[in-house]
Amino acid sequence: MIHFDLPSDVALLLRDTAERFVAENYALPQRAEMLAAAPEEAPRLWSAMAELGWLAAPLQEAVGGLGLTPVHIVPLLEALGAGLVLEPVVPAMRCAATLARALPENEAATALEPVLSGERIEVLAEGAEGAPITATRDGDRVMLLGTAPLVPGGAAAAAFWAVAELGGAPILIRVAAEAASVAAFRLLDGQAAARVCFDGASCAVSEAVPDCAGAALDFGTDMGLVGALAECSGLIDALYRATLDYVKLREQFGRPIGRFQAVQHRMADMFIAREEARSMLHLAAEALESEDAGFRARLVSAARVKIADNARRALRDAVQLHGGMGVTDELAVGHMVKRLLVLTQLGGSRGAHLKRFRDTA
Amino acid sequence: MTDLLTGPEDMAFREEIRAFVAANLHPETRAKVARGAPLAREDFARWQRSLFERGWVAPAWPVEHGGPGWTARQRLIADEEMFRLHTPPLPGFGLKMIGPILMRFGSEAQQKRFLSGILSGDDWWCQGFSEPGAGSDLASLRTRAVRVAGGWRISGSKTWTTYAQYANWIFCLVRTDPEVKRQEGISMMLVDMTSEGVSRRPIRLMDGTEEVNEIFLDDVFVPDDLVVAEINKGWTYAKALLENERFGIGGIGRSKHLLQRVREMAVAAGRGADPEIVAALAGYEIDIMAIEATTLRLLSAAEAGVRIGAETSLLKIRGTEIQQGLTELMMDIAGPAALPERESACVEEPFENAAYQFLNWRKLSIYGGSNEIQRGILAGQVLGL
Ligand SMILES: Cc1cc2nc3c(=O)[nH]c(=O)nc-3n(C[C@H](O)[C@H](O)[C@H](O)COP(=O)(O)OP(=O)(O)OC[C@H]3O[C@@H](n4cnc5c(N)ncnc54)[C@H](O)[C@@H]3O)c2cc1C
Repeated sequence: MIHFDLPSDVALLLRDTAERFVAENYALPQRAEMLAAAPEEAPRLWSAMAELGWLAAPLQEAVGGLGLTPVHIVPLLEALGAGLVLEPVVPAMRCAATLARALPENEAATALEPVLSGERIEVLAEGAEGAPITATRDGDRVMLLGTAPLVPGGAAAAAFWAVAELGGAPILIRVAAEAASVAAFRLLDGQAAARVCFDGASCAVSEAVPDCAGAALDFGTDMGLVGALAECSGLIDALYRATLDYVKLREQFGRPIGRFQAVQHRMADMFIAREEARSMLHLAAEALESEDAGFRARLVSAARVKIADNARRALRDAVQLHGGMGVTDELAVGHMVKRLLVLTQLGGSRGAHLKRFRDTA
Repeated sequence: MTDLLTGPEDMAFREEIRAFVAANLHPETRAKVARGAPLAREDFARWQRSLFERGWVAPAWPVEHGGPGWTARQRLIADEEMFRLHTPPLPGFGLKMIGPILMRFGSEAQQKRFLSGILSGDDWWCQGFSEPGAGSDLASLRTRAVRVAGGWRISGSKTWTTYAQYANWIFCLVRTDPEVKRQEGISMMLVDMTSEGVSRRPIRLMDGTEEVNEIFLDDVFVPDDLVVAEINKGWTYAKALLENERFGIGGIGRSKHLLQRVREMAVAAGRGADPEIVAALAGYEIDIMAIEATTLRLLSAAEAGVRIGAETSLLKIRGTEIQQGLTELMMDIAGPAALPERESACVEEPFENAAYQFLNWRKLSIYGGSNEIQRGILAGQVLGL
């Protein structure tokens, strides 16, 4: 049963704080300066974000979280998406949500403390599709073999939680960055990522975290997807608003281009894209609260397909209606477009989500 | 890929082109074009030199001015083969724009002075039409030229000037009479980029390249002999310029080349037999075929004396839609492999340019008359609405 309650006061407060934070710290010239830094450098505003409680927000109180349900943090993440924030908030949230479920409460609280306080970044690292990281037992140790080709937020991570297969079952193994070989780089939208090779890394058998039938990982994956979709939805809205402002302002043939019907129809389509995205995001966020993994997967994948499609439409229209200005690096529009491309290419292909949607019917 | 022009003479002509390209295209340039990487000045310049030496650099020019004397059909074939073999498409500002204008409207002295440099590549031209306030509505341009002894003084700014960083000449539209109806007070002038008062600011595009510029003209002197034909007739020349080579604007060669690259990328991604992709590629192949057939049909009508006007707008609209659709498909096939910044050490060949090309080619539906403007032209001038 899905409710369409209006966002709570807490949710709006978090969002307003995020919007102010972005306005103060993320003007394009400030962002350009951050992009000039080496990707492996710690993202500048990470601890400030942790202090605001953003990382802790969706976790239960027993592990050090604020106990907010996903619906409450969606507006915050929309604002961070629209603000083109470079800190790996969603990857870190995904990792924390996974650990909070995979580890016993007291262990989770200990493991997460330095992460939630902003002292360091820890993210999950997975192999490519069809090329998982594998683990084998060697006496009382577990040895890792394999590479995570693209770990968002991995460039400045202090440790990785490698998602590995041990005898066909998924396990999580914490590997300090020094114990893996990490190549940091930026993605085309500027966010820092890493290629992480785990060959030769190992841990004691007792330190490998079993994932009870995939429950924690599955939940974390859905959480990460919803986080990314919230960013997408925020970006679609931001593109819509920037373009609406632009077509009212830009004059050609003696009138604002927004007076031409061809332009009006495209704007109307962008509005539709935004509204659908918001609705599907809400569905998916509420579904995250369900313990029925199939139901959750089905709605998250549905949202993912719809929002990614609408993101494509919106970004094409936004660029087109900005004319030459739309293809430059000088307006936020171009940066939003790149961010949307990255967000919609990570986390599984359209085909894979259509399949997951059908398979969970 | 189905080629439509495959008669015995066509095939012999194709062979001739292939042999020439095999012998002359620099391997570095070839590799860049094959991978969709950005091209440098030298890539264009050395290919232009080879074509120039062979007499093929200006396919549409009349023989007396240095053209190869090809028929329209041969030009389509040459374009297709050249693209197929990964030759760099030469910028058209000299060869397709100002060259033909000078041949048609320019003085003999101007033709003598400029045509050979356009052919050889010794002169590099750029196009100074658009201004910050005059894009789709080009006739609203405000760069002014004021009469002085022996010539004109130009003040104003131009923008989106492609490859101005390489150019030593720019042809500009300027306002010479602010009192009359907008289109009737515009003139075309040839400006030496090294003149006093010309300056340039590069514009960075979202794909990180700097292929366009803003050009500032601050009281720049232009002597009378660098005005194209008549004062206040610039709009007529500009319209003629945009109609040059209009049967080529479907970009069939370019689309086929892209389709070929997307197909190769699908194979590299291990998805060459994926039914979804196979179907999408077949769909695009048919789209391209429809544009090629339409081009050929319009062409034979024109050769039979039928007046073809703004109908060719449809070629631009569909051609660019196909090309943009293909870049999107390419990016989706590449998936996450297309995401690393292309300067980074972690790029995955051959996917490293896929997303960048998607970003760069958003321009296709904006420049040279946006697709909205083209649809407006079709509706107004052809459909009579
Ligand atoms: C990469 C690139 C290279 C270029 N190179 C050159 C060059 O070398 N030399 C040169 O002179 N110019 C160049 N241009 C400029 C190009 O021709 C203009 O960008 C184009 O004419 C559109 O103008 P604009 O950018 O001002 O957009 P605008 O005219 O402001 O248009 C904005 C949006 O409004 C729409 N619109 C405008 N009027 C109407 C209408 N009446 N009905 C419906 N929709 C409308 C447009 O389609 C577009 O979607 C280049 C542009 C780009 C992007």
